[in-house]
Amino acid sequence: MSILKCDNLIMQFGGLTAVNHFSFEIKAGAIKGLIGPNGAGKTTVFNMITGNYKPTSGRVLFFNEEITGLKPHKIVSRGMARTFQNIRLFTNLSVLENVMVGFHHKIKYKLYETVLRLPRFGAEEEKMRQMCISLLDRVGLKDKINLKANELPYGEQRKVEIARALATGPKLLLLDEPAAGMNPQETTDLMYFISEIRDKFDLTVLLIEHDMKFVMGLCENVTVLDHGEKIAEGKPVDVQKDKRVITAYLGESYA
Amino acid sequence: MNKKRNSLLTIASIVALFLFLWYASAHFNKYSIRILNDIAIFMMLAVSYNLINGVTGQFSLEPNGFTAIGAYVSSLLTLTAAQKHAMFIIVPMIHPLDTLHLPFLAALIVGGLVTALVGFILAFPVFRVRGDYLAIVTLGFGLVIRVFSNNAISVTNGPLGLKGIGAYTNLWWSWGWAVFSLIVIMRLVNSGYGRAMKAIRDDEDAAIAMGINSFKIKMIAFVTSAFFEGVAGGLLAHLITTISPTLFTFFLTFNLLIIIVVGGLGSMTGTVIATVMVVWGSELLRVVDQPMHLFSFTIPGVPGMRMILFSVLLIVIMLFAREGIMGQKEFSWNGFLNFLRHRKQK
Repeated sequence: MSILKCDNLIMQFGGLTAVNHFSFEIKAGAIKGLIGPNGAGKTTVFNMITGNYKPTSGRVLFFNEEITGLKPHKIVSRGMARTFQNIRLFTNLSVLENVMVGFHHKIKYKLYETVLRLPRFGAEEEKMRQMCISLLDRVGLKDKINLKANELPYGEQRKVEIARALATGPKLLLLDEPAAGMNPQETTDLMYFISEIRDKFDLTVLLIEHDMKFVMGLCENVTVLDHGEKIAEGKPVDVQKDKRVITAYLGESYA
Repeated sequence: MNKKRNSLLTIASIVALFLFLWYASAHFNKYSIRILNDIAIFMMLAVSYNLINGVTGQFSLEPNGFTAIGAYVSSLLTLTAAQKHAMFIIVPMIHPLDTLHLPFLAALIVGGLVTALVGFILAFPVFRVRGDYLAIVTLGFGLVIRVFSNNAISVTNGPLGLKGIGAYTNLWWSWGWAVFSLIVIMRLVNSGYGRAMKAIRDDEDAAIAMGINSFKIKMIAFVTSAFFEGVAGGLLAHLITTISPTLFTFFLTFNLLIIIVVGGLGSMTGTVIATVMVVWGSELLRVVDQPMHLFSFTIPGVPGMRMILFSVLLIVIMLFAREGIMGQKEFSWNGFLNFLRHRKQK
């Protein structure tokens, strides 16, 4: 069953066509890679899927329902979450608070219950707190919950960002260059971490990545973009041999 | 256990505050009482301003406009029909307003609600922009309100302003409202809504990507702060009993900005401390305006000297406490008691 389907997406910024007739699907439970040279339009595809951009034309289907043009926060509550290329944590909040923000759209208590401190407020806050602590426990950050987010090392900040995305309760997780700026050891850790959370949280993962070892080791299926167009799709080993992919990355003399 | 102790301590300190006010209202002179009233009103203004500016991180410059609306609405409601008839000499007042009359508390609340409504409507255009642009748009709003109060003579009596407003504001009203607003706003900040506000301050796009409806959250912060600024405006009008458009210039906003920056953007308790320091401190500094006798020297009084000293003090504070007195932290009983214990051990 396909969980996400993009149908003929086009994104134009003025005269520039960033993404052109882009279609693909992701099967439930898969880890799919979206790769391509710099400026190929990968992040633009992400932004169209998550609702940050409204595509010029085309449709995005999530669980067979059209989500094109919905506000990003609405799409999150349908079960899609993302991380950013450059880590974007709430730097002045603690690790725990960062993750609790991910739970925000599930809050049921009303404003007057907050101000009057009615029982439902306390009960829900406490329940949310416990859920976040257990979530952070599962990703191995339990002893850091009270630190400020910007006090953590880079690799762990990335984990917090993923944990925050997991707190929204996603079915589909979009990771924008998760291994960027990491050393080889951290990258290997992250690879295991992502396949681990996929199983633990029953996720489908779509990721953009430049680190080919990472992509080849983790993804079951890869889509290659160049100049806004899909040039190849398939298993990593097959894509690696594809002439157009080699041309896009290395130039024609290598193809 | 700790929670119970902390709320008992909070209640005890509020009781102590009101006992002090009770003593003050009987024994203090008029000047001191006026300063205490000023502190309460400015505290209310600064705390609600900090909600939108420090906690939600929206650099808005609207409080002078909101205060003006609250002040005008509530004073027009407490003035009697006869007073209004006598006062509006240029153009008579438009009809339903000229006979409308409400008791003080009701007038304050209506003033707050009208301001909140204006805030609600204003939020739609204002929150389409962020950052510096937001500052400029809200600054413009303050000017619009001023021009409006100068020219809508049949409603505001124009540049003549309103006179003879009943001096209803006393220590109980001002401090009652100040404590009430502080409790409401702190409860809001220490909740999921407050967390969402802080998330928007730190990174709005990431907050949206985490499922936060950023417009709604900013709206909650803006309307709450508009309501309390409106009420504070009403209290201010009934304290000084005469209002005119010149009272609500950008300088008011500027003073509040100083208070929240000195106290720490996003820290409510820091704002409280800073309000006391700035309002009371600038009165204490009046000494330096007077001629002084040091030993055998006589220094002639220089009017305005205190403003220079005040500015120097502000610079010193900002040099040694970059993020304000409290930074983004809040005063907590746990921290305070730990501090006391530590001192004893030494």
